[in-house]
Amino acid sequence: MSTYGHLDTDAHDVDPPGPDTRSARPAPASRTVLLRRATAPVALTAVMFLLAFTLGSTTLVTMQEVLAFAVFATATNLLLGQAGLVSFGQAVFFGIGSYTVALGWLHWQLPFWATFVLAPFVGALVAIPIGLVALRARKLYFALSTLAFSELAYQLAESRYNFTKGANGVFGPFVPTALTQPRTGYLFLLAVTVVSLLLLWKVNHSPFGLVLRAIRENRERVQALGVNVYLHQVAAFVISGAFCALAGAMFVIYSQSGYPELLDWTTSGWPVFMAVIGGMGTFLGPALGALIYQFGHDQLVLYFSDWQLVLGAVLLVIVMFWPDGLMGALARLGGVIRRWWKGRR
Amino acid sequence: MDLSAFVTQSIGALSTASSLFIVAAGLTLVFGALRLINIAHGSFYMYGALAATTVVGWFPDSGFWIALIVGPLVALVMGVGVEMGVLRRLYGREHLTQLLATFALLLIFADLALRFWGKNVRSINPPKVVNGNFGLVGARVPAYDMVIIAAAIVVGGGLWLLLTHTTLGWKIRAVVDDPEVLVCSGVNIRMLYTGVFGLGALLAGLAGVVIAPQQAVGPGMDAQIIVAAFIVAVIGGLGSITGAAIGSLIIGIAETLGANLAPSWASTFIYLLMIVVLAVRPWGLLGTPER
Amino acid sequence: MKPIQMLAAVASAALLASVSACGSGGSSSTGGSAGGAAGGSTGGSVNIGVSTSLTGSIASFSQSGMQGIQLAVSDLNAGGGILGKKVKVVSADDNLTPATGASNMRSMITNDHVVAMFGPVASSIASAEEQLAAQYKVPIFFHMANDSSLMTKTFTPYAFQIVPNTVMEPRAVADYLAQKIKKGKPITVGTFAPDYSFGHDTVSGFLKALDDLHVNYKVVKQEFPPLAATNIGSYLSALVAAKPDYVFNAQYGGDLDAFTKQAESYGFFKHTTVIGMYGYLDMKALGSQSPAGAIGFDRAPFWAIKNPQMATFVKNYKAKYGDYPSTWATLGYAAVQQWAWGTKKAGSFDGTKLTKVLPGTTPPTILGKLQIRACDHQTETPEYVGTISKTGNSKYNGVHLFDDPMFKAPFDQIALTCAQVKALQP
Repeated sequence: MSTYGHLDTDAHDVDPPGPDTRSARPAPASRTVLLRRATAPVALTAVMFLLAFTLGSTTLVTMQEVLAFAVFATATNLLLGQAGLVSFGQAVFFGIGSYTVALGWLHWQLPFWATFVLAPFVGALVAIPIGLVALRARKLYFALSTLAFSELAYQLAESRYNFTKGANGVFGPFVPTALTQPRTGYLFLLAVTVVSLLLLWKVNHSPFGLVLRAIRENRERVQALGVNVYLHQVAAFVISGAFCALAGAMFVIYSQSGYPELLDWTTSGWPVFMAVIGGMGTFLGPALGALIYQFGHDQLVLYFSDWQLVLGAVLLVIVMFWPDGLMGALARLGGVIRRWWKGRR
Repeated sequence: MDLSAFVTQSIGALSTASSLFIVAAGLTLVFGALRLINIAHGSFYMYGALAATTVVGWFPDSGFWIALIVGPLVALVMGVGVEMGVLRRLYGREHLTQLLATFALLLIFADLALRFWGKNVRSINPPKVVNGNFGLVGARVPAYDMVIIAAAIVVGGGLWLLLTHTTLGWKIRAVVDDPEVLVCSGVNIRMLYTGVFGLGALLAGLAGVVIAPQQAVGPGMDAQIIVAAFIVAVIGGLGSITGAAIGSLIIGIAETLGANLAPSWASTFIYLLMIVVLAVRPWGLLGTPER
Repeated sequence: MKPIQMLAAVASAALLASVSACGSGGSSSTGGSAGGAAGGSTGGSVNIGVSTSLTGSIASFSQSGMQGIQLAVSDLNAGGGILGKKVKVVSADDNLTPATGASNMRSMITNDHVVAMFGPVASSIASAEEQLAAQYKVPIFFHMANDSSLMTKTFTPYAFQIVPNTVMEPRAVADYLAQKIKKGKPITVGTFAPDYSFGHDTVSGFLKALDDLHVNYKVVKQEFPPLAATNIGSYLSALVAAKPDYVFNAQYGGDLDAFTKQAESYGFFKHTTVIGMYGYLDMKALGSQSPAGAIGFDRAPFWAIKNPQMATFVKNYKAKYGDYPSTWATLGYAAVQQWAWGTKKAGSFDGTKLTKVLPGTTPPTILGKLQIRACDHQTETPEYVGTISKTGNSKYNGVHLFDDPMFKAPFDQIALTCAQVKALQP
């Protein structure tokens, strides 16, 4: 990525420096390749499906959280990993997703299913003006501007208590009873997660996704080719916002509430942490990060009073020594093993 | 509004602006030279304030004046440690990496502070000489507000002198534009980075000490100040000390106006202001667009 | 993504899921040993849960409330436990977010088999946990969160509130004020409260109480600075400029300390009587800067409640933690006493049985004999209001306390009646 002056002499590439980045991408769409490609996601989904019948109910409830965050982090990573846009404001949409369900019930007695479907559209609608304004700024200023939107949304939710119930948040029996059961809730969220990730995967691998990556690598050159960089980035921001809002609506099944902290800039930090821990150069890295972050956090909170210390230390170590995250490291390990295997043969 | 009310509120706005300026000046100075946003700046501020409460606990009479030296020194040592131990290895990386590293440090320092100082809110008194108020056209003006305003003027003036009238200042300004030339002319860039980062931390520590007699000192003040400092620095334009001064004045005045006209909108108003500024000038009032 | 990465992902996700499944299986089995013992009747121990805010701006209160609970539990165990079982405290930090509080509580109930919950501070977290209490049929005792809607709009039989609520507190203060002011004398009033529902509720409760008492007042300034704001200078100078006779302040903890110090520097206390939640911890933090002549209110000041049990509690607390107990510690201790007394009476750790037995009774606690009102499970705790003394109390670390005589606002005078409560309950 291009940065400023001397500082980027050894600029870090977001894609993991895996040995075979080129060979895999433009693979011909022959049937065998397609089959081979489908195997892994199908197997992963099957494993996750079976977990519903093997895990205890407490773990399943935590897995509900993980699934919501997996979508949240993957959607955020569309900006982070693909477009190279560091947003500290995705919580705006996450929170709006939750509030769409909660406030829809509170003020208009809308059924859960209606608001759940509505949430991503509300998220997208709000993302349009925010994206148009925030994307006028570049890099750090973009990050800080999204942070300001996050704080603005938080303040609004907290101070407009006639509408939002203020700091207390909205609680109520707005989630259908069936979904409050750990297993059905998990299975429902799993289905939504699989569909969302497939859609996001599609976006990543569409010509649009390619343009985003090209902009990230060399904005000026893409602009010179006549591509409207600004509009492409706004579009990415809106898509990400829609899925973040969907994640927020998913989170409601776990939290059964909507409250201002969901909009706060520290909440915006979560998906970024998750993406970094899991590896933002890979598609499934953020989802893996969500899994690790959530289970790590839950265990630490219960048994450590200093969980922030541990989280901070882990984050620092990853950022300093393992910049492509866990998935990057795994991919590297896979590459090493494969080479070793080939060498033996 | 009568004259005395006007005076009370003007000085209130000025003192708010002054304390914000000292914190934001350090943040923006570091950004100007190193091009990195330091979230752990809030930690340095908190440690400065906490150190002040400890020192005053030891020396109840002269403690504050000793703390004025000790607090910034604590922050300076932390800053130099952070720069040499962590940030130095990350200069070539993206913004995000540096942002997250300093965020991680904020989390770590916050929990360490709990270990050292506990969870209770701590509090110190202003030194006796300035612990009162004086009359000014019918209004009572807190004497300590004058200390804060004076501190801001000293810091602002000092930075201006440093940056425009010394060779060190020339180097700091030059390092952003043309580091190669600096290296060729024999400047130790590493030392310069450490120095600037340390100076930024020192200012945060100083702000912590100065603010301690007015505010409750305790957990959470690190994260709060960092958001406030961001707003000021971003409105003024990151990297510009004058911008930080203007930004802090704008926030001070906006807060006072908000508190008078629409109290329950006041906090929302500040963020709206920041967004409006960024929408019109995405690099802040006095900042330069990023290349 | 390359197939190899996909596979790595599948493998690692499956691995992690199985590890975490084992991990939680393991922890639930250790929890199970304690919980199993609790469920059965083979001696051993029983767990109670405390999920509270151990980080952030209100950590010092929660910490001190937790100490009260821990002391109560160790006193209980020293006396042979309860129904033949030792009591253990399971605690966790809710990080001041409702979802974390709710998730702590769920995990404490399912993994650690806690039989009662204590601890939320913020009313948002309290209302989230109150719903879970009803869902899992585990009683929850509010000794810190005092939102009155917990016992009215969102009432469930599994919730108990020992702390004076947001209706009682401002009403008690208004009563005291009405006593002090000559009837019909016009006064100007300012309010200063954190900008969230607690602040707004308390302020409007206070003004409504003044109306009810026919006080001739005029509001000259209302300020709502953000909760835990770093700098309240602008809000404060606006208040100072309005020169009110009285200021009702609904801040607490660090915010109140900061307000007091800055207001003092304006000489504000000379002409304006400030009314604020000045408890022992605040006065101790303020020391010689305590605002003499201001009006303080406190929910359970240990030094004002005189009975032998309280004296023993204060002595033991001081011996264990090296300081006098805060209101939060005192109320936490008393809440555990209520739970233990009810459990003994019910002869079982079953939550539903407890909710049948406890309401309407008068469990003896260090606060004295106070009834738990049947209609809303609100303990009839009085609120203490007084004028802050000019001199420090030599008996208590030189801390400035309230002057004698102080006003012990009787419950019946300040609380909603059962009829009013019933109308609000679902």
